[in-house]
Amino acid sequence: MTRLTTGGSAINLEPGETVLQALERAGLDPPSSCRAGQCQTCLHRAIEGTLPPASQEGLTPGQKATGYFLACVCVPTSDLVIMRPGDVGREIDAEVRAIEKLAPDIVRLRLEADGFDYRPGQFLELIARDDLRRHYSLASHPDEDDFLELHIRLHDNGRMSRLLRNEIIAGARLRIAGPSGACIYEGVDPDQPMALIGAGTGLAPLYGVLREALGCGHRGPIRLYHGARNTSGLYLGDALQSLAGRQAHFDYKPVVLDPSAPLGGDVSALALATVTGFAETAFFLCGGENLVNRLRREIFLRGASLNQIRADVFLPGR
Amino acid sequence: MSTLFERIGGEKAVNAAVELFYRNLLADGRVARFFDGVDMNDQIAKQKSFLTMAFGGPNNYTGLDMRNAHKRLLEKGLNDSHVDAVLENLDRTLRQLGVGEKEVREVCDLANSVREDVLSRKQD
Ligand code: HEM
Ligand code: FES
Repeated sequence: MTRLTTGGSAINLEPGETVLQALERAGLDPPSSCRAGQCQTCLHRAIEGTLPPASQEGLTPGQKATGYFLACVCVPTSDLVIMRPGDVGREIDAEVRAIEKLAPDIVRLRLEADGFDYRPGQFLELIARDDLRRHYSLASHPDEDDFLELHIRLHDNGRMSRLLRNEIIAGARLRIAGPSGACIYEGVDPDQPMALIGAGTGLAPLYGVLREALGCGHRGPIRLYHGARNTSGLYLGDALQSLAGRQAHFDYKPVVLDPSAPLGGDVSALALATVTGFAETAFFLCGGENLVNRLRREIFLRGASLNQIRADVFLPGR
Repeated sequence: MSTLFERIGGEKAVNAAVELFYRNLLADGRVARFFDGVDMNDQIAKQKSFLTMAFGGPNNYTGLDMRNAHKRLLEKGLNDSHVDAVLENLDRTLRQLGVGEKEVREVCDLANSVREDVLSRKQD
């Protein structure tokens, strides 16, 4: 007998039953449409258990590696613990190891937590209080760092920002949940060119992905485009510049917003003008919704496969 | 006699066609705005459903599903001219991929058979 666990409920699957049918039988009202493994309306994520390969057919390599599957074509062969794609999962305790400024309005928060498995480029939910939760991308690398690193932009009126600015110091206790997200170094050929494009603290996951790629011995050229509103926003610039000096196949392209430039003078204009071979490149996009959606569309129209456009979108108040 | 879906190459053919089809739609000024959804990954999955259906592949869509899926678009002014444009893009995509004349006709006819539901002119 295989068992399906989701949220608070455990369901015993009937022979041949799909996850979608089981969720419906349990009255959980899961979304669905085609019921034939194409439209992805029934997308779910497994955080425990082994998925039948047929249930991941058509998903991106990053989604496959992080447990996403299609419930309507998933007849489980092992017990599964699943959640909806937008859920972040179990909460655990974390302790602040350090908090320091990277730029006038950006802090680096380092946390210690036990048993938090993640891939560079994923994000977590930071929980200061039950009603104060935000998503932040991980800039750290699980094998190289014994802490979780987040880069956080402080807003003048944000509640989390105020807390981070005034109250949270080393030793403070918080909770975290996750990880989530599929903007990871997966499905990339070692010789493939990579373009990492981000704005503001969108650098965080790209920095993680960059370190994973270099650590895995990636051989193709890697370009990191980082956009900021002003020079002080180009944090980690020195470290990236010196890394580019040591690694012949890594190129760092910082860009400060210049509205008077012909193409808008932002990071997407620079990237679209200088990337070559859209159809061959592995893309990683990270930043606000406008930037990411615009870039994704332009890159796709220039010939890149959507499977090769990995993206992490910062949603307001996410 | 094998089915249209088998003759055309099944799921592999859908995968080969879907990005090209979607790129063609986004580049077509007559219909692009309908597909300019917030989430392209969702959109492309829906186009995969469209192609599977048009290729005569496995699906469980009813007329009601088709009416519901396009209701939002009707509010944005969807009409016969847009269905024609989508079918034109379908035709062109299949030819770009070297699909045979007979199959191209069958696929376009099959897609066209859903027109009345897509435009909510049929009730059942
Ligand atoms: C010609 C016959 C057509 C067929 C057989 C067809 C088929 C489909 C199918 C199977 C879906 C997926 C439904 C779902 O699972 O939610 C869909 C969605 C969609 N179709 Fe069509 N379609 C047709 C015409 C059109 C036309 C003319 C347009 C616009 C110009 C259009 C735009 C869309 C859009 C934007 C969606 C996604 C809706 C959403 O995301 O909610 N379709 N269609
Ligand atoms: S309902 Fe369409 S993929 Fe599952």
